[in-house]
Amino acid sequence: MTLHIGQSARRENARRHLAGRGRFVSDLTLPRMLHAVFVRSPMARGRILEIDTSEASACPGVVRIFTAPELNVRCTPWVGTLGHFAGMQSPPMNILAEEEVLWTGHPVAMILARSRAEAEDAAELVMLDIEDAEPVTDGAAALRPGAPLANPAARDNLCYEAVLETADVDAAFVGAAHVVETSMTFGRHTAVTLEPRAVIADFDASSGALTVHHGTQTPYQFQDVYARHFGLSEGKVRVIAPDVGGSFGMKLHVYNEEMGAVAASLILGRPVRYVADRLESFLSDIHARDHIVKGRMALDADGTILAMEVDDLTQVGAVSAYPRTSAAEGNQVIRLMGAPYRMPDYRGRLSVAFQNKVQTSQYRAVGHPIACAVTEALVERAAEATELDPFEIRARNLIADDAYPHVSATGYQFEKLSHQACLAKLHEMMDPEALRAEHASLRKQGIHRGFGIASFVEITNPGAAFYGVGGARISAQDGAVVRMMPSGDIHCAISVTEQGQGTETIIAQVVADQLGVTPERVSVTTGDTATTPSGGATWACRGAGIGGETALRAGRRLRDRILTLAGALVQADPASLRLENGAVVDGSGAARITLEEIGRIATYRPDTLPDGIDHSLTVAHHFAPTGYPFDFTNGIQGSLVEVDVETGLVRILKHWIVEDCGRIINPLLVDEQIRGGVVQGLGPAFFEECQYDADGQLTNGSLADYLVPMACEMPDIEIAHIETPTGDTILGAKGVGEAGTAAAGAAAMNAVNDALRPFGARLTQTPMTPLRILDALDAAREERTDP
Amino acid sequence: MKLDGEQFLNADPQTVWTALFDRDVLAGAIPGCESLDQLSATEFAAVVKLKIGPVSARFKGDVELSDIVPGQSCTLSGKGSGGIAGFAKGAAQVTLTPEAGGTRLCYDADVAVGGKLASLGNRLIGATAQKLTDAFFANLSDALTPPEEARSA
Amino acid sequence: MKHLLSTTVNGEQVQEAVSPRTSLADFLREDMGLTGTHLGCEMGACGACLVLMDGAPVHACLVLAVQAEGCTVETIEGLTETGAAADLQARFHDRNALQCGYCTNGMLMSAQALLAANPDPSRDEIRDALSGNYCRCTGYEAIVDAIAATASDRAGRSETKTEAAQ
Repeated sequence: MTLHIGQSARRENARRHLAGRGRFVSDLTLPRMLHAVFVRSPMARGRILEIDTSEASACPGVVRIFTAPELNVRCTPWVGTLGHFAGMQSPPMNILAEEEVLWTGHPVAMILARSRAEAEDAAELVMLDIEDAEPVTDGAAALRPGAPLANPAARDNLCYEAVLETADVDAAFVGAAHVVETSMTFGRHTAVTLEPRAVIADFDASSGALTVHHGTQTPYQFQDVYARHFGLSEGKVRVIAPDVGGSFGMKLHVYNEEMGAVAASLILGRPVRYVADRLESFLSDIHARDHIVKGRMALDADGTILAMEVDDLTQVGAVSAYPRTSAAEGNQVIRLMGAPYRMPDYRGRLSVAFQNKVQTSQYRAVGHPIACAVTEALVERAAEATELDPFEIRARNLIADDAYPHVSATGYQFEKLSHQACLAKLHEMMDPEALRAEHASLRKQGIHRGFGIASFVEITNPGAAFYGVGGARISAQDGAVVRMMPSGDIHCAISVTEQGQGTETIIAQVVADQLGVTPERVSVTTGDTATTPSGGATWACRGAGIGGETALRAGRRLRDRILTLAGALVQADPASLRLENGAVVDGSGAARITLEEIGRIATYRPDTLPDGIDHSLTVAHHFAPTGYPFDFTNGIQGSLVEVDVETGLVRILKHWIVEDCGRIINPLLVDEQIRGGVVQGLGPAFFEECQYDADGQLTNGSLADYLVPMACEMPDIEIAHIETPTGDTILGAKGVGEAGTAAAGAAAMNAVNDALRPFGARLTQTPMTPLRILDALDAAREERTDP
Repeated sequence: MKLDGEQFLNADPQTVWTALFDRDVLAGAIPGCESLDQLSATEFAAVVKLKIGPVSARFKGDVELSDIVPGQSCTLSGKGSGGIAGFAKGAAQVTLTPEAGGTRLCYDADVAVGGKLASLGNRLIGATAQKLTDAFFANLSDALTPPEEARSA
Repeated sequence: MKHLLSTTVNGEQVQEAVSPRTSLADFLREDMGLTGTHLGCEMGACGACLVLMDGAPVHACLVLAVQAEGCTVETIEGLTETGAAADLQARFHDRNALQCGYCTNGMLMSAQALLAANPDPSRDEIRDALSGNYCRCTGYEAIVDAIAATASDRAGRSETKTEAAQ
């Protein structure tokens, strides 16, 4: 019965936000709470000679100042490596810098005061004497023999390397009719969640219980981390993630500051609050991307792709992030290359380099935008070389919709995708012939427009293959407890979490359909390790696919329990009964007993039930994905831009996407996930970049200098769907949160290059700033005049 | 960041040279100088209060004169830590050339800042550094100008 | 040294001792418990802290609490209680024009001020009016739709999104 699955139910929890009644960690105040401020290294690399806190200690309101010796002893160091990344290294990290500072912003001291303002006053008086050393900022230079170490505790600056290849890749290039090449640079950017990272750690020494209010997407992971690293039993650690003001992957990593708040609370026995300010967010939130990729593609005379070869250098900071590592993105980059295409041969090389900058790690669409942009730029060059239309070359090479299951050249197993259907649908939406005609006439007026398209594959619903097999204590399963209240209302406590994407709403829809009630009668609790079962929570697009399936199966178990009880009450075979409209109905559709009546009897008059019957109306169910290691989704995006060749400014006029996330539980929420994702892909394509100078100083650490996409710069986004449910689950849903981000930048870059084609100019670096566009135009002009 | 410039000073090179090594003159010329202790003939410890854009800080640091060619040229270098505000360091190659009625002082400086100063104030640093450098030499010029001339000027 | 501030917040007379350096945002959030006003950048760039001061939107992070002396301040909580923006809030809900909810306060303030000044804005005008409001989640289109729909409602029209877009 799917009355509510597939409907655009509104988000009940959105009403609180609209009324100003959000409950964010940054809003929370606890009795005797102290405010933490960190004193950070102003240098990218150096050695601490002295930290003088004497003046700061005397400031009004200051309760305690910690440096490494007092704080770090409370916490066992963390190491960001995974067992299945053979040969990977990353030195251990602890809360405060001990001798060496490794990036600008590395915390060296922690001040606790009665107010944030007083803590900041004191921080200004801490005198640091750090002997600065030459920082390692360039990853390519860092990997040369004899290069100075970014992190003196590492063997060398190579964090990880990997090669993936098929046997015949070299032969494919030798025999190719066309070989196209590119070299691309993808800038560093960061999540810029509007609510910065926020934590309040509250250790109660009398009970030995630690409660951490933490703006995170993965509360169970942090329950485990806090228990292990602070020597507490897991049962004494509770992590509560209430409303979270944006996460996007950034809020699932272990950070020095959150660990510091916990350590300080353990020492002081008082609540300790840390909320990053915007500058601190830029200096301590994980950054994303930072790749330099060389790629080439071999084609036969008809434009059939024979092989790809890529070399990805990614620069990840001075330590690998914990517990997911900073190598996972590069690993995904080299595995996702060419993924939409029927490409028999491949070689991908990955080098992950340490450097003295903020660490990079998983952020929305991990690896996808890089693999997609490189692949689609090469396909675009191949189209030029073979004189094929961009739609035509893709039509010739996309994996056919009837050719599944398919194993990619990089080893990914695709159950069933719909590239051809998506391409056809996009063609219909964009009408490229009409666009071409319009662009040709506009060019005569000096208006330069272009469009670009990009096919993509997205990894969703990961099983334990992602992290669990590498030894990381990151859950691939989720759990739900579904119960019927005496009134017949339903409650579901589930381990997947809500960041505004609508998790609670879709879970209510799924459960409602299993139990024959409206979603309004299903309340959902998420984000508290004490009240919900343990699970993976929100990452890698698993909420709908894995969380939804968990809720579905839990709901069905409760349904069976209710029907068994109802069978006894109405003296009917439970198999002949079903749930509909809040009641138990028989085969004829006649209501036999309401849920409310069952709830009343089971709760208040169990004495009237037959002996031995199980009247417990609470069930628990855990679900882990089986079958394929991941449920891949697919789609294609189109971008239309206008480039002002005098100023280099780009107007993004329109964006299209056709997406296949399997069974759609809530079309409204799916479309808004896609739109938000697209804009998070367009931001780094045009605006967003963490800029560093040669000394490793971040030089744009504010929202005045770091440009994020704003309403006036973003286009309307037209969306269409193809639905290919996964057969791995009953529900058939796959993830959708990262699809928009995966290919938006690739489509936009192809669009800009289409607009610039008559000038012979080409962009190969993101963000595509006006300056870079003008530089590309200048370079093309010089090449024309001086061949 | 590179800065260069020149200043005509109303005193002969030897007077200028002496002033550059004079604690009191330096203390008066360094913008925002709260204290300047002479550690040796060529080394000083300074406390300087500065405001750059949104960041104001008290810097504690060292000033040193080196590469000395008496009466002609030297390198004036300094580095200071402003705690949470960051740090600043720089070196200026200073040359003195006699000119009619006084001395032409030319400087060629390289300045670097770090920490909050670099992250928040980057767009302002170039202009501020130039302004501070100009102020230093203007103050030096004032100190070298006899009081009566300054009044009549 | 604290200053005795007299101001009107959401229709209530308030007298509170505040430090001269306390921002209006900190005063509202910490002293008044009005946590619907959010802080995103503390430099007037993101719009999460917008409140209405004497009817005009101001960045509560850039205004000192003492500058609200004698003023009337309205926050999202007040706007909700009076029902002045109930139709706008309903359109935001219907269109799912928010995800994490952190920017929503500021979006509603900007929209309310826009519609007061320009009851019939085009989509481009709406996008321009939101140029100081950062949202990381939605991609903005749903917010533009919700504001356009509210404008239509208030003008007594019942336009669909596609009509409004033309």
